[in-house]
Amino acid sequence: MTETSTAPETTGLEHFAYDNKSVKLFAYATAFWGLIGMTVGLLAALQMVFPSFNLTAELTFGRIRPLHTNAVIFAFVGNGIFMGVYYSLQRLLKTRMFSDLLSTIHFYGWQLIIVAAAITLPLGLTTSKEYAELEWPIDIGIAVVWIIFGINMFGTILKRRERHLYVALWFYIATWVTVTVLHVGNSLEIPVGLWKSYPLFAGVQDALVQWWYGHNAVAFFLTTPYLGLMYYFLPKAANRPVFSYRLSIIHFWALIFIYIWAGPHHLLYTSLPDWAQSLGTVFSLMLIAPSWGGMLNGLLTLRGAWDKVREDPVLKMFVVAITAYGMATLEGPLLSIKSVNAISHYTDWTVGHVHIGTLGWNGMLTFGVLYYIFPRLFSTKLYSKSLANVHFWIATLGTVFYAVPLYWAGWTQSAMWKQFLPEGMLQYGNFLETVSAILPMYAMRAFGGAIYLAGVILMIYNLIKTVQQGKFVANEPAAAPPLSASPGGHKGEYWHRWIERRPVQLLVGSTILVLIGGLAEVFPMVIVEDNVPKIASVMPYTPLELQGRDIYIREGCNNCHSQMIRPFRSETERYGQYSKSGEFIYDRPHLWGSKRTGPDVHRVGGKYPDSWHYRHMEDPQSTSPGSIMPDYSWLLTRKLNNDLLPAKIRVLQTLGTPYEEGYDEQAIADAEAQAAIIATSLRNDGIEDAELEQKEIIAIIAYLQRLGTDIKTTK
Amino acid sequence: MKVFSINFLLQATPAPETVVGGPLGGMSVLEQLLFTLIILVVLGGGLAIINLSSTMLKLQQARLLASTNPDLIKEVGLENLTKPTSWWDELMKKLTDRVPIEKEASIVLDHDYDGVRELDNNLPPWWKGLFYASIVFAPIYLYFNHFADSAASTQELYAMEMAEAEEDVKAFLATQKNAIDESNVILLADADALSNGNIIFQSKCAVCHGKEGEGGIGPNLTDEYWIHGGSIIDVFKTIKHGVPEKGMIAWKNDLRARDMQEVASFILGLVGTNPPNPKEAQGELYIISVEEPEGAEESK
Repeated sequence: MTETSTAPETTGLEHFAYDNKSVKLFAYATAFWGLIGMTVGLLAALQMVFPSFNLTAELTFGRIRPLHTNAVIFAFVGNGIFMGVYYSLQRLLKTRMFSDLLSTIHFYGWQLIIVAAAITLPLGLTTSKEYAELEWPIDIGIAVVWIIFGINMFGTILKRRERHLYVALWFYIATWVTVTVLHVGNSLEIPVGLWKSYPLFAGVQDALVQWWYGHNAVAFFLTTPYLGLMYYFLPKAANRPVFSYRLSIIHFWALIFIYIWAGPHHLLYTSLPDWAQSLGTVFSLMLIAPSWGGMLNGLLTLRGAWDKVREDPVLKMFVVAITAYGMATLEGPLLSIKSVNAISHYTDWTVGHVHIGTLGWNGMLTFGVLYYIFPRLFSTKLYSKSLANVHFWIATLGTVFYAVPLYWAGWTQSAMWKQFLPEGMLQYGNFLETVSAILPMYAMRAFGGAIYLAGVILMIYNLIKTVQQGKFVANEPAAAPPLSASPGGHKGEYWHRWIERRPVQLLVGSTILVLIGGLAEVFPMVIVEDNVPKIASVMPYTPLELQGRDIYIREGCNNCHSQMIRPFRSETERYGQYSKSGEFIYDRPHLWGSKRTGPDVHRVGGKYPDSWHYRHMEDPQSTSPGSIMPDYSWLLTRKLNNDLLPAKIRVLQTLGTPYEEGYDEQAIADAEAQAAIIATSLRNDGIEDAELEQKEIIAIIAYLQRLGTDIKTTK
Repeated sequence: MKVFSINFLLQATPAPETVVGGPLGGMSVLEQLLFTLIILVVLGGGLAIINLSSTMLKLQQARLLASTNPDLIKEVGLENLTKPTSWWDELMKKLTDRVPIEKEASIVLDHDYDGVRELDNNLPPWWKGLFYASIVFAPIYLYFNHFADSAASTQELYAMEMAEAEEDVKAFLATQKNAIDESNVILLADADALSNGNIIFQSKCAVCHGKEGEGGIGPNLTDEYWIHGGSIIDVFKTIKHGVPEKGMIAWKNDLRARDMQEVASFILGLVGTNPPNPKEAQGELYIISVEEPEGAEESK
């Protein structure tokens, strides 16, 4: 390390001001959306214990759950990222943000997207793809705002006064480019109308792309930007040097390269080809060390500062955040081992695991940063340190109370699903028995979530008081020497110093690295036909079934019901033969689901009479006593709207679904004919409704009765 | 509010022991090894935490004493804390290979970012080992799962699981005398059996056939008309295999043979009870012969 230092030059200091206004706005938004997102989460948690909390169609669990995930990921953590980046970027580069106008557009644009999400998701306008539920017009909005953020960030980097980019910035850059790639890749869809689209890929391929996205949304939205924040705020708050520069380098590059490959671990034992599943497993295991590199660098930076940790709520929050990060990033790879996944998948274990990451890592780190930033923005002290300490304990306990019951619930339910009697039948043949058994755990989880939320409210009070007692400095004066000439490469220089001076090369390098894993997995799946063996008897959906499927998507049924029977005895005994990849080739989007709050429905077709489904949607407890499913009585009264149907057929034809030429003109008549048959069958069972044929319930019954039957008929 | 009764407590209690056996039983040797390893790591972590907290306690004690009464430190035997050269410290030093805080100045890099400086510590050897090991493991895993002679696809593993289960069930059933099936099922008349049949009926059948068998989604069970036959054998068969095309569920995967016999006997006892709101009769007239409890065959 013979780097020449950046000691003051003879030319003197340049004077400028940091933009604190944008930071303040993002900080306010972070706290506000955190409160909203977690309140919605609490509502969802209560709905699982008390179905009567499903107040209206707009507030049913199937629509509320995506609202919760989107709000906490993109609104709470998203604004948290921008707050931290805008604060640290300026200070690490000794310059003001590139453009105040872009900063403003970025802030209001992002809030507009959040509001759009908060309106459209309860209305049932959704793509159903997890963490990417927003429909195509909002997708475009996200892309535009994200690119504005990118321009603003790179503009700032280019006019920097600091030659070398600090490790936090490597993470910001990798975050930006990877989220761009992921968002575009997973949003490839063809619009049918303003609020409806069908994805480019179908079935298994759609699932793989979705989880390449979903997994890396966790990686590059919840992890890498927050590691960047940790690298800035932790050493600042502790006033200690970062433990190891070399560790930063290795774990950064290894992390971004390996993370991308691990997506298929969300699809273990599904119809995804074995080779892709195995890649998901081994890359997940290789991810342990690079993930822990961040944890080690964080915790070991605190060497010699543990006294301060005892005193300072900011550092306390950071320590718990980093510890939770370490636990979640060990647990994730363990869950990617197939035999462990066979137990955990579809259960609350996954939900518990995720919340260690979000409540522990993202939540606590955000709280720490907020407590750090507010007094500095308002040039005052935190209003109450003891209140922050109380928040720390509440948040920690809340996380524990939230996660432990869910681990317990997951293990209990999984064991019950798999339990056989010696006679060869399932001990708990009725899925509901396994739900009733874990309801007390769901109640405890709601309690844990509630106290975590109470902590957030305490924090907001504390921050408001801090704002009131302080004086905001919108433009914080700063001074730094101008950018020194690039020292160029010189003998003995550590190799990595070179790329730290070159943001463009750093951007290109990380882009190439993150593209490798995605391309290596997605391309063979799309191009090699052997990966999805065709099944001759699998036919496209009829128009009415298609309409029913879109209602299934609108209601968010996939949030609780999977459509993927894994090749286990315990699943084929319960649900019927396991799912084959060839069955899903007309599924746009795939609806495999990731959590079974209710039973799998892939082979529900033909299992119950039409009238059973009618009664079940009207009042689930009437056909399934003790069920926690909300009622969908509006399906019985709302009329099916077939206006978009011809356009849907045409779009699907474009995408390769083999409807015959000109079928779009016949689709509505066919739908009505099929509806008449189902209405007759319902009337025969004593259901009275003069306009039965026109109701939405008919379409969803048509779809449910079709599910999984294509390969039954061949037997 | 009916949705949150305490029934779940009652339902959650049966057969907890059999439940627990599940996950570990199905593990291969390799998985058990891995599992043991994980447990050891967790235990090790626990010990480390205990060790750490006791050390911290002592440190705190020493710190307090140093500020109030330095002489006491020697008396209570805490003076060794200032010279930490235990095996534990040696081990930690080996594992982390870090430069001690006092000598840290020698590895501070000569740049700072907004006051943040970086040390140039070595990569912790245990971390490097973990990383290398996970990289080495990847090709081994892929080889054994996809290229070795013993490699089995998910489908093959499923077929093996099913074959094994089938044998186990066969072996178990061989030990059971007088297994009930459609060839030998008889009508039961004892009160215990019928009351058990009633419980099953209410929890599984009443949803479609009505609480008193009057019919609903499914046909009326209280009249003398039967769509699929009204003998005990017929009813047992209908329950066991279902009539999937008409919506009757097959219960053979949910109910034991004895349970199905009891509920079938209960259902036949409903005939002629004339509950309110009956569904119209469907199927053919079937008169139950009086001697049926003795000889089920002749009803055919």
